[in-house]
Amino acid sequence: MDDLQYRRSIYADPTCQDEDVLAAQQADPAKKEFAQELIQLDEKLKQAMKIPVPDDLCDKLLLRQSFASHQQEKRKSKVHLALAASVAIIAGLAVNYLQFSSSYTNLGDYALAHVYHEQSYFSNEDNTRVSLVSLNRKMTAFKGSFNGSMGELISADYCRFDGMKSLHLVFQGLTDTVTVFIVPKKEHLSFTDKFSDDKLQGESLGFEHANILVVADKNESLEKWQKNINDNISWSI
Amino acid sequence: MKIFGNKKTTAQVSSNMATKQVRYEALVKALHGDLYRYAYWLTRDKQVSEDLVQETFLRAWRALDSLKDEKAAKSWLITILRRENARRFERKRFDMSEYEEASIMDTQSTTTEQEIENHWLREKIAQLEPEYSEPLVLQILGGYSGEDIAKMLNLNKNTVMTRLFRARNQLKEALDEAPVSRGQYNG
Repeated sequence: MDDLQYRRSIYADPTCQDEDVLAAQQADPAKKEFAQELIQLDEKLKQAMKIPVPDDLCDKLLLRQSFASHQQEKRKSKVHLALAASVAIIAGLAVNYLQFSSSYTNLGDYALAHVYHEQSYFSNEDNTRVSLVSLNRKMTAFKGSFNGSMGELISADYCRFDGMKSLHLVFQGLTDTVTVFIVPKKEHLSFTDKFSDDKLQGESLGFEHANILVVADKNESLEKWQKNINDNISWSI
Repeated sequence: MKIFGNKKTTAQVSSNMATKQVRYEALVKALHGDLYRYAYWLTRDKQVSEDLVQETFLRAWRALDSLKDEKAAKSWLITILRRENARRFERKRFDMSEYEEASIMDTQSTTTEQEIENHWLREKIAQLEPEYSEPLVLQILGGYSGEDIAKMLNLNKNTVMTRLFRARNQLKEALDEAPVSRGQYNG
């Protein structure tokens, strides 16, 4: 290792422990002394570099951190609260929507579904009868009354017709029951004149205060029922 | 219903927070001095150094979980501090490489021979080009090897060794030129 190279390595790192540097120091005491000199210089530099650290710096750092993390916590809990609130609102809306929204868009579809749903409760052979008086008492809610009997009335009850209070009448028919709904006029179900599926048929009659729907099996003459209703019903103001 | 099964209990969270707090305090106590001194030699300004150290430790707190090896803590903090320092220049560019007499530590008030020499040396270190002084401070004050410094400064090792050589060479020359008795002796 030549002198220049040695000086370079010592200047770069006085404590250099490379083999050839150590060998050069062994061979030449002056080189060793030179290294010692620089180690001493380093020691001086180290002392000079150790500038005084402000006494309160440590406390300042801890204080600032405790403020910062406190702020962070507060922000976090606010975000959590906001999230929880949003979830709650959406859950509420969803429940509301599912419970109260109508899944049918027209009177006919709903009427058919309603009849199928309650098919098992009534049979054409039922012996119970409802008198005209009690039927008309129920009809007062719709500002209407029937002047005479339209047939053998098996059942007359208020029911929910897609969320609307309506009157559900079940008459004895030729082969199966005939269902008549008296439904208040509401806009969310569109009026359907005639409707049917493979078993049942139905027709709607629009009156001033209410729609009257007749649903029966295909053996029944809906025309006859409609005429019957038209002849018998009278509306109060 | 264990949808939130991985949620920690409040006790766990606060105990984690407590552990983090303990780690952080230990880190601050052990290393704030080294970091401040490093910042000082980087910026040569006491106030800026304090601000830098504060920013550095705040960032360190936020990222403390990413520090796995406590032995690496110092170089980790130095890396954060260098980044913060660079950011400072992005925000406001003013010439810091120029040597400012006023910003050099005044330690003359406690005048001892040692202090006078320190003061003189500080001026000389401050006069070094930053690219020379930075590795020198890391080597002498931080005790890092040439390889470590190369990694921290994103330089290759030979460049670092050359800069260290030049730094010491300049300081040695300055020392050799100076009169034997430096500073002012009053009485």
